[in-house]
Amino acid sequence: MIGATALLELRRLRAGMMFWILLAFGQLIIAWLGFSQLEVFAEIAPQLKAAGSALGVIDLVIMPTFNSLVLVLLLSVPLLAMGSLAGETHSGRMALWLSSPVSGGQMVLGKILGLWLSSLPLVVSATLTLAAFGLGVDLDWPRFALATGCMLLFSLWLASLTLFISGLFDRPAAALAASYGVLVFMWLLDSFSSPGAPWHWFALLPHIEPSLQGLLRSQDLIFFTATTAAAALLGTYSLARRRGEV
Amino acid sequence: MKPLLLARQLSYGVASRPRLSNFDLQLQRGDRLGLLGVNGAGKSTLMQVLAGILAPSDGEVRILGQRLDQAGPTLRRHIGYLPQRVPIYPELTVRENMDWAGRLRGLKGQPLRTAAEGALQQVELGAFSRRLAGRLSAGMEQRLGLAQAIMHQPDILILDEPTAGLDPLQTEQVRDLLRNLSADTSVILATHLLDDVQQLCNRVILLDEGRKTAEHEVTPDIDLLQYFRQQAHSQAVGTTA
Repeated sequence: MIGATALLELRRLRAGMMFWILLAFGQLIIAWLGFSQLEVFAEIAPQLKAAGSALGVIDLVIMPTFNSLVLVLLLSVPLLAMGSLAGETHSGRMALWLSSPVSGGQMVLGKILGLWLSSLPLVVSATLTLAAFGLGVDLDWPRFALATGCMLLFSLWLASLTLFISGLFDRPAAALAASYGVLVFMWLLDSFSSPGAPWHWFALLPHIEPSLQGLLRSQDLIFFTATTAAAALLGTYSLARRRGEV
Repeated sequence: MKPLLLARQLSYGVASRPRLSNFDLQLQRGDRLGLLGVNGAGKSTLMQVLAGILAPSDGEVRILGQRLDQAGPTLRRHIGYLPQRVPIYPELTVRENMDWAGRLRGLKGQPLRTAAEGALQQVELGAFSRRLAGRLSAGMEQRLGLAQAIMHQPDILILDEPTAGLDPLQTEQVRDLLRNLSADTSVILATHLLDDVQQLCNRVILLDEGRKTAEHEVTPDIDLLQYFRQQAHSQAVGTTA
């Protein structure tokens, strides 16, 4: 049932305009940023070489563009997720879900998977655009693969978190506003708090930047997997509560 | 014999303003029960509690002897539910909506295809299976909702105003469909229309402010309007006294 729910979610999103608009704009922004950064790099490459700098395309073009992809995903996924649970409640379809033999866990996992699959075209198209640069210049492929893995994990995390937030509301617009609120807070938390503070662990950027610099850290993996699982569990719990199962 | 559905002392809402109060109900196989009441009487709340969508604040619902809130989601396979707002995805086709509803009820593969086609034929939407659900008329939407509710041949069919917003011809089509359901299927029907109860039900319950105020057999000679008025009058007298 998880797979069927995921496919339904994917089909539902694909049938709407929002999915295609986000995909088109996201791809356009990534391609434009990637190529403009490549152009700048081509201009300064001789000076870098003369100065003996080790910085290459991967540092000055690929990783900054992946950084922009993070922002594009932060803006896009909440737009896709806002209707996932809040929309079901708002439209009255939640009644059929809750009266069905499908468990809350199956519904939540299916919806997360569906959302993640819906965000993948953006990640994949951006990654392929950047990988195409490898045809002309030497790329650090292990570092590229690490950044791609980070984007995949990050988009799964986003799907899980925004789906959980969507389940807290019965209006998609309210879910969207709350998602943006939480994500902006986590984005800015890095600037507000000192690295030693306990809540600094929830700051988003310190968990993304290391992998874009080629560092695979267990604490970042733990952050993403633990918060993804926690959001899925809390989403399941809220559905079970509605049914009176807990 | 174990009742198909048993509700004991069901309550829902806060104590100062309950939406449902100490409601008891027993439903046997083949029962056709009508729920009558004015707007806000608690019909939809009762239906949602019976369908397992809302958790009662007190009391219990049992299906075939098992508690609905404790037996796990599979017990809900016995229920078919059509809420007041038809649960459809307007951006998907009629057939895709049926597939979704069937999968929710545990159908897949050939049984799903057969059930979806059969139910669509039953509600006379077979020719519209490729149409986007968002482009259906209100009557067709209602029939699609009914097809979703009956496709897995549930033991208990819970219908919240299935003829609301339909023209006389569509209303008659829905009634025909409900008359032709298997004799084993039990139906709980909330409605404003006395004709629905008169033609489709063998028992009627009157609800007022979340309480059961009367229960009666529906016989061909019963004047439901008169009965409804009498009950409302005695209720008003009782309240004044």
